[in-house]
Amino acid sequence: MYGISKEEALIMHIDLNSAFATTEQQAHPHLRGKPMGVTNRISKECCVIAASYEAKALGIKVGMRRTEAMAICPEFVLLETDPPKYNAVYQKLIKIMQSYSDNIKMKSIDEGIIDFHGMQHILNGKTLEEVGYEIKQRVKDEIGDWMKINVGIGTNRFLAKEAAGWHKPDGLDKIDHTNLVKYYKERKLTDLSGIAERYGARLNAYGIMTAMDFLKAPEYMLKKQVFKSINGTYWYQRLRGFEMDDHETSLGMVGRQWVVKDPSDKDSYLLPCLSFLCETTGMKLRYREVEARGVAVWVTYQNGEYWHQRRMHKSTFYTNQEIYRRALELFNQRPHGIVRTMGIYTYMLTPSQVSQLSMFDDITKVRNITKAVDEINDFYGTFTVYAGTSLEGKKIIKQKIPFGGTEYFELLLKTA
Amino acid sequence: MDPTIQINELVPMVPIFKPDASEILRCYPYKMKYRNQEIEFTIFGMRHPTAKGKRMIHVFDMSDGINDYRIEFDAERLLWTLVSMVEGHDVRD
Repeated sequence: MYGISKEEALIMHIDLNSAFATTEQQAHPHLRGKPMGVTNRISKECCVIAASYEAKALGIKVGMRRTEAMAICPEFVLLETDPPKYNAVYQKLIKIMQSYSDNIKMKSIDEGIIDFHGMQHILNGKTLEEVGYEIKQRVKDEIGDWMKINVGIGTNRFLAKEAAGWHKPDGLDKIDHTNLVKYYKERKLTDLSGIAERYGARLNAYGIMTAMDFLKAPEYMLKKQVFKSINGTYWYQRLRGFEMDDHETSLGMVGRQWVVKDPSDKDSYLLPCLSFLCETTGMKLRYREVEARGVAVWVTYQNGEYWHQRRMHKSTFYTNQEIYRRALELFNQRPHGIVRTMGIYTYMLTPSQVSQLSMFDDITKVRNITKAVDEINDFYGTFTVYAGTSLEGKKIIKQKIPFGGTEYFELLLKTA
Repeated sequence: MDPTIQINELVPMVPIFKPDASEILRCYPYKMKYRNQEIEFTIFGMRHPTAKGKRMIHVFDMSDGINDYRIEFDAERLLWTLVSMVEGHDVRD
């Protein structure tokens, strides 16, 4: 009726329930079944970056300040993050997933996709639901008995993720042409993955108030009026179970931002921090094996104003010193004021040319010293050798667990 | 607030090795002596490897049924360290 895909559901989405909090409950048996959470650095105004299901049931949400969480539940326990512990769980989860298919993709530290297309022969007649229950049991046996995962099976990545979130926690669901309409009837528009408040409001403006309205909306309307781009067609197909998300996104920019610990307008405080941000940006560039042509610096001020400056260069660069030199030129142009947050990013990225021979001696020397410093830091731990200009910045800026992607997780662990 | 109590003391330890057990339960601390008290671990939390510089460290999160203990085994220098503990209640209640 709605042109729904009749394809066999062969995409499995696996999602660790409240990953960091559940891992801490696994490690701390006395915290199991209790409201608890995890934060990067404990302070009076720190934020909850992961909350246990027990805490969520009380209304404690991710992003909430510690004081707010304690007001809801005075017994709420907050622990600091432990990256090596989460990495151990992440690595074990990857190992389990890879034992079913080579075609896996981790979407973030706590969720991943197994694509079973062409892998039916290794299932030995088992259904994907049976495989899902088997993976659940293996997670308990091989990671820990408190660990719970949601498993979703769908004809595309979108429906698999939706299925994984259908009956949290510890759910296992499949969405295909037989129950797709039933699923949409149960959901609100903003329950759908990728439809948050802004998109929701845009859809509402065109009379699309529910998930079912979204399914019923004609393709031309979504493309020409609602999204005003090809995204409308993508949504039309995605909602019907056709795969629209099986592609790699290209790397657009690499950088680092920082909420200034003690907002300040003094160069003596801000410049070492900028230098440190440039060092971590350089590390990321070399880790991704790319070089940049553009650099940008931005600042937000205590009074709410925003300043931004960017510049393209003729030649590419990748060393910490080059990034800092170019960023400093821009940073020195900023209007005077108390800086609250600052950031730097590099763009126009191209594959690294470090392996190519250079005609010029000084370029070769720069390459060699950068390579040598990276090797020392790799062996003895990151920031064993670093620029003198970053000395004070390193003391002030703390490395944190990133949300979302896992691109730099290995790199982060070296500093943990 | 974070209930973790930092200790960082080397402790006498009796580990156990079960060649036929699953990977996560093959080798773990069985009991330790801390402040003249013998503490026997009854619940295995988890183990994860980490590195301190070049040294390989195995971190064990164990419980005696009341308190949780973080224990580190330095695989290069063969040292057992009680890193921290979290005071709890009897989880068998």
